[in-house]
Amino acid sequence: MSAFKRDKKEEEDGGGLPFQNIEKSAVLQEARIFNEASVNPRKSTAVLTKLLYMLNQGERLSPKEATDVFFAMTKLFQSRDLVLRRLVYMGIKELSTMAEDVIIVTSSLTKDMTGKEDMYRAGAIRALCSITEAGMLPSIERYMKQAIVDRSPAVSSAALISAMHMTWFAAEGVKRWVNEAQEAVLSDNIMVQYHALGLLYRIRRADRLAVSKLVARLTRLSLKSPYAVCMLIRIAAQLIEEEGADSGSPHFQYIEACFRHKSEMVVYEAARAVVNLERTTSRELAQAVSVLQLFCGAPKATLRFAAVRTLNQVAIAHPAAVTACNLDLENLITDSNRSIATLAITTLLKTGAESSVDRLMKQIATFVSEISDEFKVVVVQAIRALALKFPRKHSSLMNFLSAMLRDEGGLEYKASIADTIITIIEDNPEAKETGLAHLCEFIEDCEHTSLAVRILNLLGKEGPRTKQPSRYIRFIYNRVLLECPSIRAAAVSAMAQFGASCPDLLPNIQVLLARCQMDSDDEVRDRATYYSHILARQDTSLYNRYILDTLQVSIAGLERALREYLDGEGARPFDMLAVPVAPPPQAAELDAKPRAALAKPPPTREDNFAERLSALPELQALGPLFSSSEPVELTESETEYVVRCVKHSYARHLVLQFDCLNTLNDQLLEDVRVQVEPGEGYSVAAVLPCPSLPYNESGSAYVVLQFPEDLPSSVATFGALLKFVVKDCDPATGLPDVEEGYNDEYMLEDLEVTLGDQIRKLGKANWGAAWEEAEGLFSEMEDTYALTSMTSLEEAVTNIVKFLGLLPAERSDKVPKGKTTHTLLLAGVFRGGVDVLVRAKLALADGVTMQLTVRSQDEGVAELITSAVG
Amino acid sequence: MGLFQRLANFLGVRKKDVNVLVVGLNNSGKTTVVNSFKSEDDRITDIVPTVGFNVERFQNQNLAFTAFDMSGHGRYRDLWEHYYKNCHGIIFVIDSSDRLRLVVVKEELDLMLQHPDICQKKLPILFFANKMDCKEALSSVKIAAALGLDKIMDKPWHISASNALSGEGLQEGVEWLTQQIREMLSVKS
Repeated sequence: MSAFKRDKKEEEDGGGLPFQNIEKSAVLQEARIFNEASVNPRKSTAVLTKLLYMLNQGERLSPKEATDVFFAMTKLFQSRDLVLRRLVYMGIKELSTMAEDVIIVTSSLTKDMTGKEDMYRAGAIRALCSITEAGMLPSIERYMKQAIVDRSPAVSSAALISAMHMTWFAAEGVKRWVNEAQEAVLSDNIMVQYHALGLLYRIRRADRLAVSKLVARLTRLSLKSPYAVCMLIRIAAQLIEEEGADSGSPHFQYIEACFRHKSEMVVYEAARAVVNLERTTSRELAQAVSVLQLFCGAPKATLRFAAVRTLNQVAIAHPAAVTACNLDLENLITDSNRSIATLAITTLLKTGAESSVDRLMKQIATFVSEISDEFKVVVVQAIRALALKFPRKHSSLMNFLSAMLRDEGGLEYKASIADTIITIIEDNPEAKETGLAHLCEFIEDCEHTSLAVRILNLLGKEGPRTKQPSRYIRFIYNRVLLECPSIRAAAVSAMAQFGASCPDLLPNIQVLLARCQMDSDDEVRDRATYYSHILARQDTSLYNRYILDTLQVSIAGLERALREYLDGEGARPFDMLAVPVAPPPQAAELDAKPRAALAKPPPTREDNFAERLSALPELQALGPLFSSSEPVELTESETEYVVRCVKHSYARHLVLQFDCLNTLNDQLLEDVRVQVEPGEGYSVAAVLPCPSLPYNESGSAYVVLQFPEDLPSSVATFGALLKFVVKDCDPATGLPDVEEGYNDEYMLEDLEVTLGDQIRKLGKANWGAAWEEAEGLFSEMEDTYALTSMTSLEEAVTNIVKFLGLLPAERSDKVPKGKTTHTLLLAGVFRGGVDVLVRAKLALADGVTMQLTVRSQDEGVAELITSAVG
Repeated sequence: MGLFQRLANFLGVRKKDVNVLVVGLNNSGKTTVVNSFKSEDDRITDIVPTVGFNVERFQNQNLAFTAFDMSGHGRYRDLWEHYYKNCHGIIFVIDSSDRLRLVVVKEELDLMLQHPDICQKKLPILFFANKMDCKEALSSVKIAAALGLDKIMDKPWHISASNALSGEGLQEGVEWLTQQIREMLSVKS
């Protein structure tokens, strides 16, 4: 009664939700009425509702609490109240993951699901499946099979969906219900048919042949349910992709036939499937697009939206086909539904001609403030595509973007705009100055720290190379005065870059840095002091090394190396070269996942390898790991033993790591080792076998080789032989049958040690300066080659980069279109810490002619590189 | 409470709700016993091992019984105790042909009688020495001796030989239980 009074009082206080202030302990207390000898359905219903509400609000019960309330709830089975019983089913489902011994209600639920009361049955099935574990499946199998083919659609659907959920943990058991599911596919009820198809597909999903048969059978049946047909279209489309089938395949013909289906949903699904297929001919595409075109003029907003959204998504892949709809899309620009209008305009932007860009931009500007961030991002992406397509339009696009930057918006939206501007700047040198100006303006009033830091970093990199670097200093220094410590620190770094690159600005920068040394934040002060000291030396090589080139080690690796250093006595000074290098992320990767830049970078492969190798005592004497190659397959992938090799180079040694996998379930391999036939000059220092290799497990064997003294012979080919002791064993237990095994061996493919294995990539922000600096100090080799097999400059560039294992600097790996000459600039480190700089001048004639100039600290290395290319 | 119900209560003709717990080892015939209490129409034809419990209702002489038919499987016997509270009587079914497991029966029975929810109360316990038609079945007297029923002093108990398939002996037992529960309720009120 008191609870009732309190409720009433709260109602007077301003009403609100009836369950607003419920407390866990109070509800659990009230739940004791479930235990009473005769159940009061009215009260119990109210309490159970409260309990369910509470659980759905995210309240967690301890296992004890959950079990107690669960068992109290089971006593409600004695009531025949319809509402209460169905609430009990829901309660069981909610508590099934928290309480113990939930299995107790199995019999009660099976009784309900087979009983006469139809209202109970569907709910009982769902609750039963939520409490059933894989081991209990056989005990309910009979009932489930009956329920799947039940004449009541609600019961049948409930059983099918529950079975689908159970495939996650008991796929094998559910497979036995295939016959019933196949019967249910023939049901007259549209939902049952759809759910049955879903279950059949889920059961067979792993087996492509079975899926293919399923589709073939069902396409002949003409399903009644539009939902099922849509699903069938999706499955068929996936099959076409996987099999690489062409338009002649029966699956494709089925999809095509669906264009004439009476349900709009099916027609749309078929059209969507066709335009999304990777290989479609223009004829089929035209058919699908014409369907979408028809929908563009449909009276239903959902149809218009679906059509225009699909067109928008495929506009880049099939511009010609989408252009055919331009007229319809033009009409949609003024659609009262803003989402449709936005998609229409952005589609037009993607496909449109250069002349229409200005008009469309104006149109967009009228309502850009009315659409949600999500659609604004779509607009920004369209603009990015546009800017890459029509570089000459950059000024109007840039103006538009800057206007958008000034509007309110979330981080994701702002970041996508900044990304777009940065892409435009990088792609189009003409747009650089205006782009930077817009970004400068943006950081004046930017609430997102991460974005501001990124832009300051960009200004530091790009600003010094503009015509008038001094104008950016003011913007950057303003940040030092106004912003939070992390932005101030970024601004200090950016200023230092100006100081290092523009000698005439140096005195001014020094004054500004001196002011920053009074900053209240440690990091800002440290940076300012550091940079001001380096700049005071007036030594360009110091500038290059400590200001312009960023630290290229992997952060996790550095952390580990530093920790090891602190743990040791510190007898030796810390060696920076010992830290594994993380190559700067490539532009393509950044495009693919722009978010990744903000997330914590995962540990690199090198870090993992370094950790694994340093665990082996034999390898510790070799010094720090220099670089690791990509794994090379030494066997076919389907053979008895699968062996892959990773080549690790150290300063003087080469470690070959053989990852072996035993795929024979009746064999246990012991003492697995690889015998290599080393090339001339190499000598085997140690062989570390893998002691035991059971079925389906992989282990690693190592071979340590010493690099030859004379460098040219370090590029060599090794023969390799896998040797091991075989013990036959029982496939079931994996235990060997016999004590004594017998020796066996297995031929592996030859292993090549290339130049790239011995080189690690190194980014040089200011390659030109490094090159000039190296002129006197380094030895230089030059040679000219005719690369007859290459047909384009891009191909040549990609191959050279891959072969040498060096990192292209100053974006010289991007070949501008239409040029016949190109200069590729590369940088890296040879094992032992020898710097290598390579300049490759390429000219396209018949094939590609290359003049290769190598500068290196070591004459031998330079010679090796020139000779390796030939 | 409606006027009619109050009147009926006063006259003592209203049916009283009582809960009984049906326990015993697996395969002793609990579900079959409960099934034969139900009216002809409600009976189920095929009886499978119970997983967890079933709730069944039947009537006897103005008492509406709600029977919690518990699973006797070894894995689920621990769960009986959740239902000891608020029950008015216990029906303990024993397979009288299963001599081997009679010690297990005794163990489970002692465990139940020692449970705090049971030992305090004066609950009537009805034993069915089921499957009396089997050849090797022990007589009810022998079972009572084997289980040491004579040592139960604080609770009324009764043992009757039964055959749940034919219904023989069941009625006699349940009439005793009804009598006992009625007495218990009248003492309380």
